[in-house]
Amino acid sequence: MRKYDRLILSVFVVCAVVLSIVPVGCGRRGGDKLKIALIMKSLANEFFKTMEEGARSHHKEHAGEYDLTVVGIKDEEDVTKQINLVELMIAQKVEAIVIAPADSKALVPVCKRAMDAGITVVNIDNKFDAGVLADKGVKIPFVGPDNRKGARLAGEYLASRLRPRDKVAIIEGVPNAFNGIQRTLGFEDAMKTGGMNIVSSQTAYWETSKANQVVSALVTEYADLKAVLCANDSMALGAVAAIKAAGKSDEILVVGFDNILAVQRLLEEGKILCTIDQHADKLAIYGIEYALEMLKGEGTPADRETPVDLITAETLK
Amino acid sequence: MIIEKRAAGLPAFVTDYLGMALALAGLIVYFGIKADNFFTVTTFRMIANQIPDITIIAVGMTFVLIIAGIDLSVGSVMALAGAVLGVCLVRFSLPLPAAIAVCLAVGIVCGLANGFVVIRWRLPAFIVTLGMLEIARGGAYLVTDSRTVYIGGPVEVITDMSILGLSLPFIIAVVIVVMGQVVLSCTVFGRYLIAIGTNEEAVRLSGIDPAPLKLGVFVLCGFLTSVAAVIHTARMSSASPNAGYGLELQAIAAVVIGGTSLMGGRGSVVSSFFGVLIIAVLGTGLAQIGAQEPTKRLITGCVIVAAVILDHYRHRIRKGGGTKRI
Repeated sequence: MRKYDRLILSVFVVCAVVLSIVPVGCGRRGGDKLKIALIMKSLANEFFKTMEEGARSHHKEHAGEYDLTVVGIKDEEDVTKQINLVELMIAQKVEAIVIAPADSKALVPVCKRAMDAGITVVNIDNKFDAGVLADKGVKIPFVGPDNRKGARLAGEYLASRLRPRDKVAIIEGVPNAFNGIQRTLGFEDAMKTGGMNIVSSQTAYWETSKANQVVSALVTEYADLKAVLCANDSMALGAVAAIKAAGKSDEILVVGFDNILAVQRLLEEGKILCTIDQHADKLAIYGIEYALEMLKGEGTPADRETPVDLITAETLK
Repeated sequence: MIIEKRAAGLPAFVTDYLGMALALAGLIVYFGIKADNFFTVTTFRMIANQIPDITIIAVGMTFVLIIAGIDLSVGSVMALAGAVLGVCLVRFSLPLPAAIAVCLAVGIVCGLANGFVVIRWRLPAFIVTLGMLEIARGGAYLVTDSRTVYIGGPVEVITDMSILGLSLPFIIAVVIVVMGQVVLSCTVFGRYLIAIGTNEEAVRLSGIDPAPLKLGVFVLCGFLTSVAAVIHTARMSSASPNAGYGLELQAIAAVVIGGTSLMGGRGSVVSSFFGVLIIAVLGTGLAQIGAQEPTKRLITGCVIVAAVILDHYRHRIRKGGGTKRI
């Protein structure tokens, strides 16, 4: 039994050593190629997974031009870990950092440090807070979609199916995320223009089961609710399940955001009215290409807006 | 074990559950007044529809806490088992019973692994199950390729079935609660578990090997977690790799509100069920009156602490000063 124990112990040690080396080894070193680091939020999230795959396929086609390191954090709220990752990339002396910040304020100082170290920083997906950027005296170009515009598109499509004074509810994302706030604002813009009555606006932290609980409560409290606008598709899934459980699938419309794979069938079946595609697969590519341009001295640090598209049952066909 | 003086005239179960039932009734009355449509059949049907998964996990957690263990992996294991269920149904097109069997096997294996490592190397369950929390979550992401799997029809049959207006998952949950309580208070196995939680060394010295019993509890918890996974997946019509995030703490909160001791040796499955109900009514009620997230969290936190303080006094009164732990 003793021997057996020692064997297991050595296996553990080997595993631990291998695991501690791997992340460092991932950043492939190649002669004088440009090194670009893509720092994302949760790699466990479908949206960022798609983004990562897009970036990797772009890298495969342009392997001669640059080296790519992709890192992400465990869950979307792990701001400290993401700051550490930026510091790690500064230490590894990459030429450019393309970052989707987990927090639009807390990541600014560390990105300024990166820029002071001569690294080109491009901000994608979630826009840095303008006030903090001004306070730190830095300009970081933002390449990404206008979430507010996207949400307004979805909201307007919904409004065309509703009548003024119809009751609607908004399910928000994580309260401190800029993109979540923008989506809520976009929904509100469209609903106010259409004259709908927003009876409740609550957060469900981007999560399916939280949204399920909140929407279940809402459909009970407001018997004549006509629509639920969700700031992402995961929450829309929870909303659809809640509405189905309440037996109101024919009465309440659901709007999502992100166009994840799981909602495709729901769109076709009409259980979700529409969603917004902000082309996650291209988002990181835009950021990387922008960073390459800047490194070659071609680009000027101005923001660049990427497209947002309305997805409905018709557009899927 | 605690020798208790019974309150004069009242059977033990009345005094045990009266406090919890009163607290629950208080909440229902409060929200009934505050929210327009809280005190309705729809609300209660909705709560009954939402709690089966957490109830079943709370039953498993009660057993683990009673033997002075803890299982932090339930949320992740639920996600992993659910993910496997989803993938079996969608990618491999297995029939539902086969897919459920695979899903339950995943839960049992996770519980077995937890129990084996805890017992074999005498490690704290806290650390081992914390490891499993990460392992199972990673597994869930691997299995689903980090994407939510939409299942729809094939799994919805579970939630669509109902008997006398009660959904099948709710009936399963109630049956599991009742069986859990019977096993705990009316079987030798149950009494041994309480003994292990009170003083494991004493159990060993009296010639009973605690190892298989403890292993059984971890396996039971894993199994119940996978049952919850089936129900959760059916309710959401989809399997999300992010499912059950933070569920372990919710389950522990419910069990502790129910008066089960984190130190082991004392607990009740039915009380845990009351704990689940209290948390569910709070969550639903607060959402219906439109409370914002910070308020919801503040209030839920206060209720947990208040419940434990109350429980402390309840037991002091019941012990009546004259009895002591042996």
